[in-house]
Amino acid sequence: MTDAIAQSFIDTFERERDALPGAGGWLAARREAAIRELADAGLPHRRLEDWKYTDLRDVLEKAAFAPAPAHQGAVLLPEGDAGSGAALFHAIDRHKIVFVNGRLNHALSDMDGLPEGVALRPLAEALEQDWAKAAIERRFDTNPQAQSISGLNLALMADGVALHVAEGVALDKPLHLIFLAADDGASHARNLVRLEKNAQATVFETHASAGAAHYFADQVTEVSLGIGATLNHIKLQDEAAKAVHLSTMRAALSEKAKLDSFTLILGAGVSRGQTFVEFEGGEAEAHVNGAYALRGEQHADQFCVVDHAVPESNSHTHFKGVLDDRSQGIFQGKVIVRPDAQKTDGRQMTNALLLSRDASVNAKPELEIYADDVQCAHGSTIGELDKDALFYLRSRGIDEMTARQLLISAFLDEALDYAPHEEARAELKALVAGWFEAGSLSAEDIV
Amino acid sequence: MLEIKNLHVEVGGNEILKGIDLEVGAGEVHAIMGPNGSGKSTLSYVLSGREGYEVTQGSIAYKGQDVLEMSVDERAAAGIFLAFQYPIEIPGVTTMTFLKTALNAQRKARGEEELDAVKFLKLVREKAKPLNVTDEMLKRPLNVGFSGGEKKRAEILQMAILEPWFAILDETDSGLDIDALKTVSEGVNALRSPERSMLVITHYQRLLDYIVPDKVHVLSKGRIVKTGGKELALELEKSGYAEYGADEAA
Ligand SMILES: Nc1ncnc2c1ncn2[C@@H]1O[C@H](COP(=O)(O)OP(=O)(O)OP(=O)(O)O)[C@@H](O)[C@H]1O
Ligand SMILES: [Mg+2]
Repeated sequence: MTDAIAQSFIDTFERERDALPGAGGWLAARREAAIRELADAGLPHRRLEDWKYTDLRDVLEKAAFAPAPAHQGAVLLPEGDAGSGAALFHAIDRHKIVFVNGRLNHALSDMDGLPEGVALRPLAEALEQDWAKAAIERRFDTNPQAQSISGLNLALMADGVALHVAEGVALDKPLHLIFLAADDGASHARNLVRLEKNAQATVFETHASAGAAHYFADQVTEVSLGIGATLNHIKLQDEAAKAVHLSTMRAALSEKAKLDSFTLILGAGVSRGQTFVEFEGGEAEAHVNGAYALRGEQHADQFCVVDHAVPESNSHTHFKGVLDDRSQGIFQGKVIVRPDAQKTDGRQMTNALLLSRDASVNAKPELEIYADDVQCAHGSTIGELDKDALFYLRSRGIDEMTARQLLISAFLDEALDYAPHEEARAELKALVAGWFEAGSLSAEDIV
Repeated sequence: MLEIKNLHVEVGGNEILKGIDLEVGAGEVHAIMGPNGSGKSTLSYVLSGREGYEVTQGSIAYKGQDVLEMSVDERAAAGIFLAFQYPIEIPGVTTMTFLKTALNAQRKARGEEELDAVKFLKLVREKAKPLNVTDEMLKRPLNVGFSGGEKKRAEILQMAILEPWFAILDETDSGLDIDALKTVSEGVNALRSPERSMLVITHYQRLLDYIVPDKVHVLSKGRIVKTGGKELALELEKSGYAEYGADEAA
């Protein structure tokens, strides 16, 4: 049965299909299939185990987003806007790509000036590349429920970039993808990253508002790492308070490849971040880490599946979060170790700190192990600020607010330290420090 | 300096302190001795304002101010300092960061200028050296993984940097080896001055050989049952607390 909100996406598809990238080409049939799948299955809702805590159907139905228009007029990059996530990373020497309402903004982006062996193309221009086609055509076989929601993106993806780094080439400086919402509405973007053998790259992503308040940012990133390739990835989610953010990253790692990904979540009213890692060769390594700080009515759901199908690969996932007011945090994770994946080292941890009585956390890290010679661990903790520690700090003259901030930063810093770029990490820490100052850490909140 | 009158304190509904009267003049050092569980740490926590210690009767005045009206950090900024019997571990906050935050918070509360990084570093190095607190310890998270003796030395370093006017040392000697006991005592003695008072809680007379008290009090079952000069500590060392009813059923 097609739910009302799925129907509205189908209507959008019917209206826009001929203008979407790849219309008339091989992609058109894939889009058709995806929209049919969406029509059959509808949007994910809470009765599906993986979506138990985030009823996307309900959220989108209530929000009733129209498609975001192509933005008219200039967009000011909020570079000087201290305290805003959109102001981050500008002091770092990097290649800057700006999307407005999910569409690449050429005027604000530097598509050129890339070293030899590095190709960066708008999605529409990359569709005939074999690697890009393969990336888009991959299915979420290990997770059918993730397939359903990435189908929405497949059907409606309107823009994005495709980064290809040739064998042995290192991208000279970070590639910074900035996604700004300037107008209300829904947008769907798709990015593709392919690093050939021994290639290296660092990619930053910023997701923020540039004027929009009520919007839906839907994004899928496909990562494919060749033998020995390394991708460092930092994502900052600082969307507006009423925004809905849905993102999926899927990474396939060849032998000896390394993915080091870190996400900081401060923004969006409702967000769901999905990460799927699949190992295709041994001795590969995946780090999927993150930190979040939520307040008000914010709801952030992290869903992370790491699939070890081949021997001797390592994965490490650690998310830490603080929750104030009535905010809600969710971490669902799974490490799958298939029968052939001997000598796997897989870890998944999550820790949350509740700053208010009304905040809540659901944590569900799981292990699914079918091999016997493995080292795996998972765990979660949910706690409050340590009263004894607070007393100790205050007994040295540190006022209560500062003492709380000190303990909270200490808690989050452990996660922020995972961010795989030194300058970016320092900026993220400063941003988190600002989060406290802007916040409602008041004496009444003390649990 | 400090005047405690008829202080009654309950913890979790049980009366632990049952009418304490104690006056410590400026420049004086008083020792408190007494059996385990007699309420010595309770007294130290009440003085510093720990949650869960309910004063049901009596008063505490410090430099003429009503201590019970002051918050934990206000007391600290006013110069009350407690060296903990069991210092708390603070993961993720380096000792250095903590010291700087604490000192500057107190300076700010008193309307003094905050110390910049350079001046602060110089101060810490100067105070840490005689206490054998290494740079490596200063870089570690506060008290985390410190040995018992290291924790106690770190407490005294905090005191040396914060320069309180009224210091309570709760069993600072326990866990210290013989050399460290001397180092720490020297650190404490260096702070003695006509304007600074101390309350030294200990089980062992030995500490009082180094930090010589003006008065010694025996606390038993929540009451001060005897007060004398420094020779009282020697007597207690020999005879124990039996005559103060320590072995009777509570
Ligand atoms: N939270 C609590 N609830 C109930 N009783 C408590 C609590 N905290 C302390 N007490 C009791 O108060 C009494 C006094 O404890 P306190 O720690 O002050 O003793 P002390 O004199 O410092 O002993 P020690 O020499 O062993 O350090 C003890 O009997 C202890 O069990
Ligand atoms: Mg005690």
